[in-house]
Amino acid sequence: MTLWMNYLMQFLVAVVATISFGVTFRVSPRHYLACGITGAVGWLVYVLCTGLLSTSAPVATLVAALPLTACARLFAIRHKAPITIFLLCGIFPLVPGAGIYYTAYYFLRDDRSLFANKGVETLKIAVALALGIALVCSIPLKRHKS
Amino acid sequence: MASKTFEQTLDLILDAGQTMLENGGEVFRAQQTMEIMARSLQLQEFHVYVLTNGIFASARPDGGESLSMVRHVPTISIHLGRVEAVNELSRELAEGQLDLCGARQRLNEAQSIGSIPPRAERLACVVGSACFAYLFGGALAEMLVAAVAGLMESAICQQFGKRRINRIFTDIIAAGLCTLWALGVSIFVPTLDVNTATIGALMVLTPGVALTMGIRDIINADYLSGAIRLLDAVLIAGSLACGVVLAWLIGRGLGAML
Repeated sequence: MTLWMNYLMQFLVAVVATISFGVTFRVSPRHYLACGITGAVGWLVYVLCTGLLSTSAPVATLVAALPLTACARLFAIRHKAPITIFLLCGIFPLVPGAGIYYTAYYFLRDDRSLFANKGVETLKIAVALALGIALVCSIPLKRHKS
Repeated sequence: MASKTFEQTLDLILDAGQTMLENGGEVFRAQQTMEIMARSLQLQEFHVYVLTNGIFASARPDGGESLSMVRHVPTISIHLGRVEAVNELSRELAEGQLDLCGARQRLNEAQSIGSIPPRAERLACVVGSACFAYLFGGALAEMLVAAVAGLMESAICQQFGKRRINRIFTDIIAAGLCTLWALGVSIFVPTLDVNTATIGALMVLTPGVALTMGIRDIINADYLSGAIRLLDAVLIAGSLACGVVLAWLIGRGLGAML
């Protein structure tokens, strides 16, 4: 029970975190909730993957980027707004900020193997994120007008 | 088409494209929007090439010589509200709801959509940093430290942005100061997890925008623009790492002296 409460909390906090990016990017307020949900869906899937299925961070990022981008596309169609609005804000929880930090940290500690590990992992996460977005964005949708 | 109207039309289309690019629209969207507008305004022989930081376009009036225009877009600051407004404008133009004058007026309105007050932006940074500290496993103490660090970051970014100080330098200083702050607090509160607090604050600075836009440009086969943006992403990540390393070095040096 507390486990699910924890995931619910993670989801809600991710919504708030994503909306705060929406504010700095001056998204019009009617899209705030959609942005928040987009980001939180990505984060929840990521946390579930790493927590319950114990997949590695790059794989979890790839898996999480799929529903995230799908959400962004869905909201873009429903709100008749450019997909960028939802994608730019929603992607932030998955950007490997921790990876950048730990790479720098181990570089400084002169721990070469961990430094290389973290550096490669950060790169992998970035590529996984790119792949996830590319996969979903490339699925053609039926054009509503010619 | 009279030559005056022709020039106004071309000017309008380029302005619209520039507004889009400046405020964080993708390259292909700017290109597509401009082509749609040109078609709706019956501009002949309209060709346009858009890069991350420039627009090249040419068109030919009836029986005249072709005219070309170039726009340079040196700085991009994200304002998605304006991108959306220009997008809406081009859609209405395509549906025939607007004429040239109406479109110009709508574009001016789109350009003057205000930005949010600096205080609200700072608040968003504070809340964002605190939330990310929580998401990365921080407790209340880490969230508070990250929140203050977020406030410092946004103040630095705003002040440096106003003085047109180099982006890379700004990132290094912002990342360095927030790491230093977390390190400083950890002297007084030994239980504080410096890593979590710093990561929470760093997330606000991460190159998410450059990464996403770079990917989207590359998917749309704008390889040059995509490469520019990905390079930007790598540079931002590198400068954040530099900032963190510098702060740890300073912290260690001070620690050794004490």
